[in-house]
Amino acid sequence: MSVDKFGQDEWVSQVGTRRRDETRLQLFIRRLRELPRLVQIGLLIALPLALPLLTANDYVLRVAGLICLYSVLALGLNIVVGFVGLLDLGYVAFFGMGGYGYALLSSAQFNIHVPTLISVPLMGLLAAGMGILLGLPSLRLSGDYLAIVTLGFGQVFVQLTTAMNRVQFPGSDQVINLTGGPNGIPDLDRLHVFGLSASSVTAYYYVLLASLVIVLIFVYRLNQSRLGRAWRAIREDSLAAEAMGIPTNRLRLLGFAIGAGIAGIMGAIFAAWQQSVFPGNFDVTLLITLYAMVVLGGVGSLYGMVLGAFVITALPEVLRPGTQIAGMELAQIAFYGGTLALLTILIRPRWRLVPILAALAVGGVIIHAVFAGLAPDALLVPDEKLSLISNLVQHWLPIPLNVPLATNLGNLAFFAVVILLVLLTQVPKNARIFPLIVTLYLLAFVWETRLSKEPSTTNLLLTGAMLVILMNYRPQGLFGQRRVEIA
Amino acid sequence: MQLFLAQLPQQLVNGLTLGAVYALIALGYSMVYGVLGLLNFAHGDVYMVGAFIGYGVFSVLVPVSTPLIPAALVIAVMLLIAMLGTGLLGVGIEWIAYRRLRNAPRIAPLISGLGVSFFLQNAILLTQSAKYRTYRTELLIPSSWRLDFGVAQLSATRILVIAVAVLLMIGLTWLVQRTRLGRAMRAVSIDREAAAMMGVDVDRVILLTFFIGSALAGTAGVLVGLVFNQVWHFMGFTAGLKGFTAAVLGGIGNIPGAMLGGLVLGMVETLAVGFISSTYKDVIAFVVLVLVLLIKPSGLLGTRAPQKV
Repeated sequence: MSVDKFGQDEWVSQVGTRRRDETRLQLFIRRLRELPRLVQIGLLIALPLALPLLTANDYVLRVAGLICLYSVLALGLNIVVGFVGLLDLGYVAFFGMGGYGYALLSSAQFNIHVPTLISVPLMGLLAAGMGILLGLPSLRLSGDYLAIVTLGFGQVFVQLTTAMNRVQFPGSDQVINLTGGPNGIPDLDRLHVFGLSASSVTAYYYVLLASLVIVLIFVYRLNQSRLGRAWRAIREDSLAAEAMGIPTNRLRLLGFAIGAGIAGIMGAIFAAWQQSVFPGNFDVTLLITLYAMVVLGGVGSLYGMVLGAFVITALPEVLRPGTQIAGMELAQIAFYGGTLALLTILIRPRWRLVPILAALAVGGVIIHAVFAGLAPDALLVPDEKLSLISNLVQHWLPIPLNVPLATNLGNLAFFAVVILLVLLTQVPKNARIFPLIVTLYLLAFVWETRLSKEPSTTNLLLTGAMLVILMNYRPQGLFGQRRVEIA
Repeated sequence: MQLFLAQLPQQLVNGLTLGAVYALIALGYSMVYGVLGLLNFAHGDVYMVGAFIGYGVFSVLVPVSTPLIPAALVIAVMLLIAMLGTGLLGVGIEWIAYRRLRNAPRIAPLISGLGVSFFLQNAILLTQSAKYRTYRTELLIPSSWRLDFGVAQLSATRILVIAVAVLLMIGLTWLVQRTRLGRAMRAVSIDREAAAMMGVDVDRVILLTFFIGSALAGTAGVLVGLVFNQVWHFMGFTAGLKGFTAAVLGGIGNIPGAMLGGLVLGMVETLAVGFISSTYKDVIAFVVLVLVLLIKPSGLLGTRAPQKV
């Protein structure tokens, strides 16, 4: 590749080639980025603002509010993980502290009712302070220690909130119910400011949307500031940063505390929205979900956080059982369609897809015929009332009529699929076709017998698998840009 | 005070059992950390899977109430299959989650391991449901088999746990100190590149380290099932934290340290639970971890490695 001008390096001169290679999605994103700033912001804000006018459906608004909430949480986590480069696994505990703190200050638990304007910012300060306390001993050590200390902190938080319904302080005989234990704290005050009280779903949606916009601008400005540059320097090479005179430990701690503070404030708002808090609101599942959003959106990218939160929150809602298109379960369409799309992307050269699919279809029908011949009464019989896909599948997959048997076989097939997938990554490319066909067939069986029956667990399984796959094959996330690594 | 002295011996026995289990888990953490400099977040869940494999073998070999083969053999088969299964699981985890990320930024393999951990938990949740599963140990080892010292009782199950753990630890020490593989492991943990240049097959050493470490965790899972009887899909999470605490307490990367750390942590936890309150059982390990990090981050037996640039 030629270098056009003096002082222009190869990477810059190749920009044309790279742009030609970009996918449609990347092109679309670039076009959006090239629009004038005001138009961009207008587009981004107008639709969310108008949403309550477009729909009166509380469910839609609740999901939209959840997306805003998770976006803010992901943005806060992104400060710690993306900007400073620390693995904070106790993030949800700060969120929980905000929630429980708000609950204690605004409920009948101790009959304290603090005004919202005081209690919500107070929770931010409390969580940030706790972040500093936790960070002080562990930040001096390598990142791994911080990860495990914060993970332990998150776990301890859940256990304490579960156990502290009968607290006896030393020197007193009184047993105090501090957190309500597993039953949580009910009947919290709503958010109320200047005599206005947020009581409808719409009101909370606007509160959450407003906090999203504020935090988005805050984090954006932060990232552009001197502080943001210092953080990036620490993330890339903390030793070099220190040599440049950056107070690395203090700034790390600051990033950690800011992330915690955002989580604390959102915890308070979340508690007020839900009007109750439970230990289960703040467990590892939420933590992993937030990490999935951050990693999917692309660590360090701001719009990515919102997109990640959107995809991970909205997708399970859209695909939940019962959603149908033309009589077919949407989740089923997504499973078969998604698998097919993945195969199309992954299999090169593409013509190989043809023999694989053909073998899969023919093999399946033969296997089904064999089982139907051996035990005609033991299989699910295709039913005219069922959807097209289900009908096709039941001519192709021998699914036992007996539900416990189907469940057990499905469980076995699940383990087989996991083992086969692991092995497939280790087999030389040419030898993959046959095991791949077997894996796909078994996967369809697992889907029909187990995964589609347990949507919430399936969702969590996919979240875990996604973290591994993204970290290994696309560490910049779906929407982030690949960083040029200088080794 | 009277009560304290009266209960102390029994608590020490209980602490010894728990400590043996923690030590087995801590060894896996420490070995992997030594060889790869990596914290394996999925380790606690490997232990959980081991407990479930043991449970599965148990259910097959003891379908109703009488074992199909002699009880001693049942236990041996449970341990062996669990070791093999979790060992292979460890190898799979290395392939899938860590191999490609050896030279990635530090945070990448941690998140990847977290994903594996979450996947394993939910895989067991999907296939085994959220119920507690019960090891009916009394069908194999009658609870009347016990040594009675007057002040303390030592049941046969606990003796078994301690014996198996001690045997495995002796075996591991022998392996690391006396065999070619052990020498290769130590070489890789000191300097991976130099070891590779000396002809050590680094990939193989790392795989075997994962195999052995995970097999130890799987054994711990079965042993816990035998002593405490109940297993469920989320048990690996806290156990992982405690195993890690034990490893840090002893000095991470240090094999005798992991054993000592496990023992100390088991004792501390049992005594705290026995004499303070069982409500805050899992908080104690965390407090110990933070204290160690504050006072002596290199652990009891660890040496402070100078940071190389």
